[in-house]
Formats: sequence, C-alpha cells, structure tokens
Amino acid sequence: MRAVTGSGPRGRRRAAAGLLYASPTLVMVVTFFVVPLGLVGWMSLHRWPLLGTPTINAPDNYTAATGDSLLRSATWFTVKYTLVVTPLLFCLALAMALLVQHRRRGTGVVRTAFLLPMAVGFASASVLFLGLLSDEIGPVTGALTRLGLVDGYVSWVSGSPGSALGASVVLVLWRFGGFMMLLFLVGLQAIPTEVYEAARLDGASRRQILFRITLPLLRPTLALVLTLIVTGSLLAFDQFWILTRGGPDNSTTSLVMVVYRNAFVRFDLGSAAAVSILLLAGLLAINVVQLGVLRRRSR
Amino acid sequence: MVPLTRSAGARPTARSAGWGQGVTVTALAILFVFPLAWSGWASVRQPGGFGVAAYQRLFTADNGVQVRHLGNSLLVCALTVVGTLVVATLGGYAFGRFSFPGRDLLFLLTLAILTVPYATILIALYVLLGWLGLADSLVGLSLVLVTFQLPFAVFMMRNSFEAVPRELEESAYVDGCGTFTALTRVLLGAVRPGLVTVSLFAFLSAWNEFFAPLILLNSTDTFTLPLAVVNMRTASYGSIDYAALESGVTFMALPCVVLFLVLQRSYVRGFTSGAVKG
Amino acid sequence: MRGPTRARGTRVRAARAAAVAISLVLVTAGCGGGSGEAAPTGDGRSSSATAAVDDGTTLTMWTRAGTEALSRAYVDAYNATHRNQVRLTGYPNEEYPAKLASAAGARALPDLFAADVVFAPQYAAEGLWQDLTDRLATTGLADRLAPGHVRAGTWEGRGYAVPHVIDLSVMFYDRKLFTRAGLDPDKPPVSLGEFAEAARAVGRLGGGVHGTYFGGNCGGCVEFTFWPSVWASGGTVLAPDGRSSTIASRQMADVFSLYRALYQEGVAAPASKDEAGPTWLAALKGGKVGIAPGPSAWLDLIEKAGVDVGVAAIPGLDGGESTFVGGDAVGIGATSAHAAQAWDFVAWTLSDAAQVEVVAKGKGVPVRTDLAVNAYSSADPRLVTINTIAAKGQTPYARNFNASFNDPQSPWLRAVRGALFGDAPAALAEGDAAITASLRQQ
Repeated sequence: MRAVTGSGPRGRRRAAAGLLYASPTLVMVVTFFVVPLGLVGWMSLHRWPLLGTPTINAPDNYTAATGDSLLRSATWFTVKYTLVVTPLLFCLALAMALLVQHRRRGTGVVRTAFLLPMAVGFASASVLFLGLLSDEIGPVTGALTRLGLVDGYVSWVSGSPGSALGASVVLVLWRFGGFMMLLFLVGLQAIPTEVYEAARLDGASRRQILFRITLPLLRPTLALVLTLIVTGSLLAFDQFWILTRGGPDNSTTSLVMVVYRNAFVRFDLGSAAAVSILLLAGLLAINVVQLGVLRRRSR
Repeated sequence: MVPLTRSAGARPTARSAGWGQGVTVTALAILFVFPLAWSGWASVRQPGGFGVAAYQRLFTADNGVQVRHLGNSLLVCALTVVGTLVVATLGGYAFGRFSFPGRDLLFLLTLAILTVPYATILIALYVLLGWLGLADSLVGLSLVLVTFQLPFAVFMMRNSFEAVPRELEESAYVDGCGTFTALTRVLLGAVRPGLVTVSLFAFLSAWNEFFAPLILLNSTDTFTLPLAVVNMRTASYGSIDYAALESGVTFMALPCVVLFLVLQRSYVRGFTSGAVKG
Repeated sequence: MRGPTRARGTRVRAARAAAVAISLVLVTAGCGGGSGEAAPTGDGRSSSATAAVDDGTTLTMWTRAGTEALSRAYVDAYNATHRNQVRLTGYPNEEYPAKLASAAGARALPDLFAADVVFAPQYAAEGLWQDLTDRLATTGLADRLAPGHVRAGTWEGRGYAVPHVIDLSVMFYDRKLFTRAGLDPDKPPVSLGEFAEAARAVGRLGGGVHGTYFGGNCGGCVEFTFWPSVWASGGTVLAPDGRSSTIASRQMADVFSLYRALYQEGVAAPASKDEAGPTWLAALKGGKVGIAPGPSAWLDLIEKAGVDVGVAAIPGLDGGESTFVGGDAVGIGATSAHAAQAWDFVAWTLSDAAQVEVVAKGKGVPVRTDLAVNAYSSADPRLVTINTIAAKGQTPYARNFNASFNDPQSPWLRAVRGALFGDAPAALAEGDAAITASLRQQ
C-alpha cells in the first residue's frame, strides 16, 4: 500500500506532517550515521592524536597501512576465517532448517533448542566457551581424555593456531546456527507446496528435489544468509578479543582488532580510521560482487 | 514456532525420512542446549555440592559486577527500547502513510545503515560523542544503539503501518482526529505486534552489546554488564574465577532466555515480516 | 464544515509532532552543552600554579590491578590525614592501557592516574599528564627520586610524572622444595646455569611439582624476568633513545635457549607456554614451582599463600645480577580540573612520612633513593636483598613501548614465542627488525 499522494493544501499539509514524523529518523540517521561515516573518512586523512589538534597527513595513514605486517597478517587471517566459517555455518544452518522444516512431534522443541543460543549475547557466549574449554572447570578436556583422544594438559583457546581457530569456529556455529536456520526456514516457507507436489508426481528423488527445486527457489535467502555470514565474519571481534586474545602468536588477530589496537594502544585514531575505511571498501566490493553474481544467475 | 508451520502437503517425504533423521535432530538439539545448561550447572557447582557461592563472588569481587552495572545495563536497555520505539514508530508512520519530499531517499539512507556495519564507524562515533559532550555516557551509547536498530525497526514499523487497513485511520479522521491523535488512539493498537518485536530486538541487542560500550564507555562506573563480566576474565590475584564467570554468563542469559521463550512468536515475526530481507 | 476543522486539526497535530521532533533534537544538543567537558587547567603558570591545595576536594584516581594494593595503601593513609579524599579505582592490567587511552580521547581522564612506568614516555609525549616540572621544583626532591622512573616521565625536558611504586623482578624459590631436592635453601643460584640446574633438580621430584615457570605468552612477563639476565651478562635490549631494538644479541639468544631447554625437558610447567599473565601469580603461589623469576611486589602474596619463599637476584648467564626496575609512575590527568588538589596528593606521596611509614612499612621499595635504608628495611634481610638489587637494575625507555613489547599483538611477543617454542635464530633476527619498525612508528 502506498501513501496517499495529494496536491493542494491538504496534500501539502500531509507532506509537512510526514516530514515532521520522519524528522527524528532524519536527525538520528544524519547525526549518528552520515556524519560519522564522513568523519571516519576525514579522520583517515589526518594524524589524529587522542588529545591535541589533528593535522593533515594524507595519505600517510594509507601508505603506512600497506607496510604494516600486523595488518597484513590480520587481513590474511580474517579472510581465512571467513572462508572457513562461511561454508560451515551455511551448510549447518541449511541442514538444520531442512531437518526441522516439517512440523512433527517434537519439532517445536528442537527448533527452540536451536534458537536458544540466540538469547545469549555473543560476548557472553565467548565467556561461556572460555570456561567450557578451560582445563580448570570445562568438561571438554576431561571427556576427550577419557576417550583417549587427548593426553593431559590442553589449552584449546591458546595452545595452537589451529585449536584457537577451531574453538572460535565452534563458538560461532553454536551461537549463529539457529539464527541462520531461522532465515532459511522463512525462505523455505515461501516456496509453494504445489511445486514439491508436482515434482513428486514426476517421480523426482529427494536429492533431485533438493538440488533442482528447493535450492534454486531459495536463492534470495541463500544470498541474504551468505551476505550476513561474510559481513559478520569479516568484522569478527568479540570471539577473538575474549576467547583467544588474538593469539597464539597473532594467529587469530582480526582486522577489527587492528582498528582497536591502532586507536587505543598506538593512540593513532587516524590510522584506525584508515583501516576502517579499507575494511569498509572491501566489504562494499564483496557485497557488490556477490549481489551481481547472484542476480546474474537468477536471471 | 507456530508461524513457520508448513502445510500438511509436504508430509509424506518427511515421514519417509525416518529414524536416522530423528536421532540426528535430537543429537544436534542436545549439542545446542548443552553449553548453556553446562554454564548454569557450573555456576552453582561448588566443592561438596551446589550453592550460590560463585554468584556471591561475582557480585562482591573487587573487579566483579556491581549493582551499578546492572542498573547501567537496565538504563541503556530502557533508553534504547524507548528511543527505538519512538523514532521507529514515527518514522514507520511517516514512511508507511505519508508522502513527502525526500521520503524514499531517507528510507533508503536508513536501510543503508545495514551495509555499513557500525564496527567500521565506531572510531568516528567515539570522537563525535566526545564533541557532543556524550563521551563515557550511557545516553550517548543508547543513541548509537538506537541508530543501529533503526534499519530493522523502521522497516518493520513501515510494514506494520502499511498492513493496517486504511479504513481504520479514516474512521478516526471522521471522528475529528488529526494524524497524531489517529496514531496514538487507533493505529498504535493495530501495530502493537510490530512494537513488541521491535522492542524485543532492541532489548536483546542493548542488553548483550559488547563492542560499542567497550569503545564508548571508559570508566568502571558506567560499565554495562557484558563489560563488567568480561573484565573478570583478567582477574586480579593471579587466577581466573571460571565459576564466577559462568555465573555472570548465566545471570546475563536468564532474562533473555525467559523473554525469548515467552516472546518467541514475536521474535520469529521479525523475520517473517521480511524486515531482514531489507 | 469538515474541511476547516480538519485543517486546523492538522496544524495542531503537526505542531505537536514538531514538538516531539524538536525536543528530540534538543535532547541531543542539550546534552552536548550540559555535561560539559572539564577544561584543562594548563593556563597560566602564575604564582599559585604550583601550590598544593587541601580543601576537601574529592579526587578520582586510577591504577592497574597489579599494583593496586600499594596505591591503596597510599590512598588510605592520605585520606586519613587530609581533607581531600582520593577515590581509587583499579583496572585489570591487560585492559588498563586501552582504558586510559579511550578516557584520554574522551577527555575524561581521572584527576590522578598511575601507569606502568614503561608506558610513561608514551603518556608524557601524548600529553595525558599535566606538566609537573615547576611543581616538582618546589619540593627540592627531583634528584632524589628513582632516576629510571623520572626519565620515563620526562618528555622534551619537561616532567609529567613522578615515581609511585617500585616493583623489581627477582628470583623466587621455594625453600621447602629446595631442601627436598637436596639443594641448600640458603645458597640460591648465582648464575643462570645454576638456576637451570636447581630447576632440574626440583623438577625431578615429580608429583605435580615443576622446576620453574614463566609467562611464555606474555610479552611483559618475559621482558620483566628475562632482560635482567641479558643485562647482567653485559647485553642490551634497546638503544638508549628507545628507537632501535638490540635484541638480536648473543646474550639474548643464550638466555632464551636456556629457558627453551627447560621447557622442552618438561622442567618448566607445560602451562608456561600459554601463560598470558592473568594466572602467573597463581602458579607462583601454588607451592608447586621450585624456582622462578617474578615481581618483588608479590613477595607478600606468595608468602601469605603459605609458601616458604626465598628471594634472590636474577643472575646473568655466568654470574652477575640485575633487575628490571618496574612499577608505576603517577601524574595528574591532563583533563583534571583539580590540579592543585591532585598535586597535594602527589607531593605527599613523595614525603618521608609516606615513603617510610606507608611504603617501607608495607615491605615495599621506597621511590626515594635517599630512603633506601630505613627503619623497616633493616628488619627483613630479604628487603635488604631487594633494595640492593634495585640499584643494579634498569628501566628501559621507549615511547612506543606498549605497542612494541607489551601488547598481545606486539612484535616482541612474536619474537619471544619463536625463540622459546619455534624457530629460535630466525625469531630474534626478524623480531629485531619488526621491533625497530614498531619503535619508530609515529
């Protein structure tokens, strides 16, 4: 339904009223989104100390970024993390959605169980896993020792780059699996039942139905979920900040951690802003490519 | 989970899937519930049985959680929920019911917030709030949290207003109401489900948010619960009190779990309304 | 009839909507003017600019958890005898530098803050503290304060911070475990080689007991405890101007290879590899470690945990001894509006009364060199040991110390990990270049 468009005094008055109702949104969006977005770009062109007057130093923050080895390793790690998490979370969530798609006895309970981690904040969830995986109180090491898989002292979150990454990935799968599943369920629901019935009458197998009907028709949802996972992974912070502290040996230092470090350890807000801008540009590029590819394929 | 029930048409396939699937589903469900259940259990376990010692340590340790932190979190949640409701209701009303110059542009701009994750502009927000005199301020934090709720909330509320039959509003006009009275007397009741959903999302995000307060708040007095609990990870006196940490996790999770179980329908509506497809 | 009514109604309603919108704008703007920034009081060094004022002002003070107990002792004694009242808040060590930084950017620094002395050059250079030069001159104490700390708080000839807490790295050893291992608890090792042999002897006891322990995932812990051995062996770690690393030295390589061997042999507890700092003290006071270097400030805490602890100097590879003179420097927050009152506290902490009756009495090391020998130090032989060691130590100086050495993402920690657990020769060479780059980063 579209809003009434009118001309004459009444239309103008309604337009004025509409503008007034929209003005809080306008003020908020401009003050806390448009201005900071411009400001972060502006800051990236300056030597911007915590205290004192900023001075223009463009393009030093960007040239310094290209030679920063920590930034380079963080970029590589963030990309690697995204490449690991995306297919795993995507497939897990899709599988979960397909498993509980049909209402049967107990499905409601199972769906609730899948969604329950959503009620825990991501920072809380990271703290939870810190305990869960700890040698001191967590059950994981003990259970694996009894199964004979590990022997003695194990530090999951900082023992080796692999286990630190693994711990973070498991945390993310647990915390966001249900959320992504929910998006898939909504998408699945939008597929008309008749399509399935027709396919079944044609004697299609379950596998054929999945790959020839469900997934193609689910494409908009697949695109949405993919975008959300990729964006979220590229901006990962909480899990590494809390669980692994970026270690061991900087092996799990993400890009947003570098932003934080440049600002509050190196006291250099300008270079933090420059890294933010680079990250933002990368995100936009990836999303444009992603949307372009998906749109072309759906044509 | 009623809103997502599929019609009976697809059932035969489901039934043929059988038992192996049932086992898989059950095992997965247990895996998903386990960490939270373990956290609750670990928080009350103590030598020789169970008790609330970990919770006592959580609230009395030197660098533990203070009642003030709970108050801060509640204040931020209240400000964020109320702020989001006011802005998004008026905005959704404007976008859904009025025509004015720049409407589509502003709407798109609001949705564009989704494409620029706040983590990338938080450094600028930190500087900006300093300029506004809102550094280290719960009000400043709440304003930022409201802004980042807006794309979802405004979209949700616009859809809600558009779904209200125009006759309802017209009847209010016939009674002599203006647009604002029509909103408060008639329309708000009609969009209540949307309001509940928006409130729930705003509450969950404000209660759980970690990165924004980490950057925007800096004195212990203004810390919110997640900051206070995470702070305990780097415990003083040489050891990490994991049981107290888990009690913090459980303490923070409980209200959300309860809200979530009670309002699951509203939560799911946030997705089925198409709001997230923005 | 309907038309006009409606028009009027709309206007009223529009006005009401406008009021809502405007009040929202005002809330935002109002807060901008209302909460008001504390204006820095850098203006005018008039005659009263150096005065200390005790007028009942409440002062805020921040410090890190690691040294909070000592700051707390100062504050309690000051509050009991002064009208000004200091409210002390301690932050976890790992979070503290970032917390200070974000408060500085928000112009919300406390009236007073203490900071790890190695970070003081950065804070002084970035203007986080107010200039204390003229105030300190009025006390006549400037040349009687721990020189390393004073230098750390100086930037371009002006002093911004004074020593607050002195914390030395020393060797702690468990006298009972020494006896059980057949070692003489009255003859602690005098070279790093002897230290390793003692650790091996204790390690052979088994039963959950380990020879030694170190913070293998903690840049700050390793520099604090390993560098003294390098210094005592005649090596250096930094150029005097703090702009170049010299870690790729023979001494550094030898110190690391000694600890590396202890870890590989299982003499050092396996948890040493992941120790990032938070649980370091727990390990030292657990009574399961034979001999390990650590902060002298923990002596009391380890003893209270029931360990019969001996204290010795950290030796060099073939003898000699040194220490990392760490601890905290304190200054007045750049954005404080109560500089005169804050100075009253700072000046008092340097007085004989505070240094002897608070610091020395609490088994601490006085920050005044002229009070190193005092009524309390002669009562405990271990304190004499600690105070003598202090004179042989160093406080490294670099403006970018935190980002280069202490931060979890620092190049130093990367080098440490490589030298202890990875490709040792490459780690120090690569680390040397990376640290120098980091030290020079602006």
